[in-house]
Amino acid sequence: MDTQHGNHGEVKEVGKRKVSMSEVGLRFLAFSLTLVAAVLVGVDKQTKIVAVSTLPPLNVPLTAKFHHFSAFVYFVVVNAIACAYAIISLVLTLASKGGNKGGLALMITTLDLVMLALLSSASGATGGVGLIGIRGNSHVEWKKVCNVFDKFCHQMLAGLVLSVVGSAIFLLLLVISARKLQKTHY
Amino acid sequence: MASTDYAVPPEPTAPDVEKAAPPPTGDAPPHARHDYFRVADVVLRLLLFAAALVAVVVMVTSKETRTVVAQIRFPPSLVFESDSAKFQDSPAFIYFVAALSVAGLYAIITTLVSFLALLKPSCSTKLLPHFVIFDVIYRWDIYRMNSGLRICKIDHEKQVPEIACCMQLLLGIVAAATGAAGGVAYVGIKGNSHTHWAKVCGVYGRFCAHVESAIAVSIFASILLANLVILSVHSLSKKIPK
Repeated sequence: MDTQHGNHGEVKEVGKRKVSMSEVGLRFLAFSLTLVAAVLVGVDKQTKIVAVSTLPPLNVPLTAKFHHFSAFVYFVVVNAIACAYAIISLVLTLASKGGNKGGLALMITTLDLVMLALLSSASGATGGVGLIGIRGNSHVEWKKVCNVFDKFCHQMLAGLVLSVVGSAIFLLLLVISARKLQKTHY
Repeated sequence: MASTDYAVPPEPTAPDVEKAAPPPTGDAPPHARHDYFRVADVVLRLLLFAAALVAVVVMVTSKETRTVVAQIRFPPSLVFESDSAKFQDSPAFIYFVAALSVAGLYAIITTLVSFLALLKPSCSTKLLPHFVIFDVIYRWDIYRMNSGLRICKIDHEKQVPEIACCMQLLLGIVAAATGAAGGVAYVGIKGNSHTHWAKVCGVYGRFCAHVESAIAVSIFASILLANLVILSVHSLSKKIPK
């Protein structure tokens, strides 16, 4: 089938194999982005000496680590899963020579969808808890944390942005595979 | 014709209408099978609308007011302070309500469109482009380009951009809303000893029950949306003309 139109439909023919280079590139990009996001958040640690208001005022070193917050633990776990899935699906799509065996293509599309949902929920959770950390919540007396631990918060924000881009890449992959299915059968 | 197996009332008359116009494939089994997909499509979208509606309503009606009595030593008096917990207190819950409302709106509109497509298999409904707000760009183009042919067949070819732009994006939005509300609710339930964020659900029990139920229903809505996407992709791959 001719796959000329569409800016994502680059097809490279190697002998009898048709491997979509854009799909391979996107999967590798998703792998690297989720890996970097997981690592950024996972090694995030900041220690600061905070004056605790006891009598007399004590200077206590406080540490902020990612596992103090359950939402960040969920974020790291989901990004690790997405990273592993990206590399496995990359290997599988290369090994199956880009052909559309119905079972494998449908399974990879389904898992892509699951990864998209998981990554979005992890980004949402991190964003929600991070927003509490940045702004605090006056109604329930939750004090903001990011004015003290600024490097911690900035690194978390960077990891969040990378993960959001990673989930957008999974969305693009779904578009490409849907187009591929459509073109093969129509 | 294998049309008597199915309990859809318009089905026995539809094949006659379809035989008059040039049929897309002219096969009996795909005709029967695509009816399954159409019915499942309508049912799933209706369930999605119901789930989104329930989640939004439960979250919005979650306001709880508690009266706290504080004793002031000088001058000696009792002060009654009323404090309330409502969903507007947290931006994550506001985003949750907004995202689920968008999902409910999308669901009801596409339910109507799919139901119309189910009822009129001859697909001569010129009203299709007018009903679908989100996909109107694609469908209006198709209608203009192929006004002589039937809309249903052409719609399916162009359905892929619809799938791409609408359902997966909506799944991402709804999943993010679920995650955000879940994260904040988890902090409210368990507190955070490291940052001294107090547990709130011990005090506002009814509010927390509402929030938890809304999140559970929205998880169900996300699963429904994922099933919808997989159904559409599956119907694409089975060469079924819709």
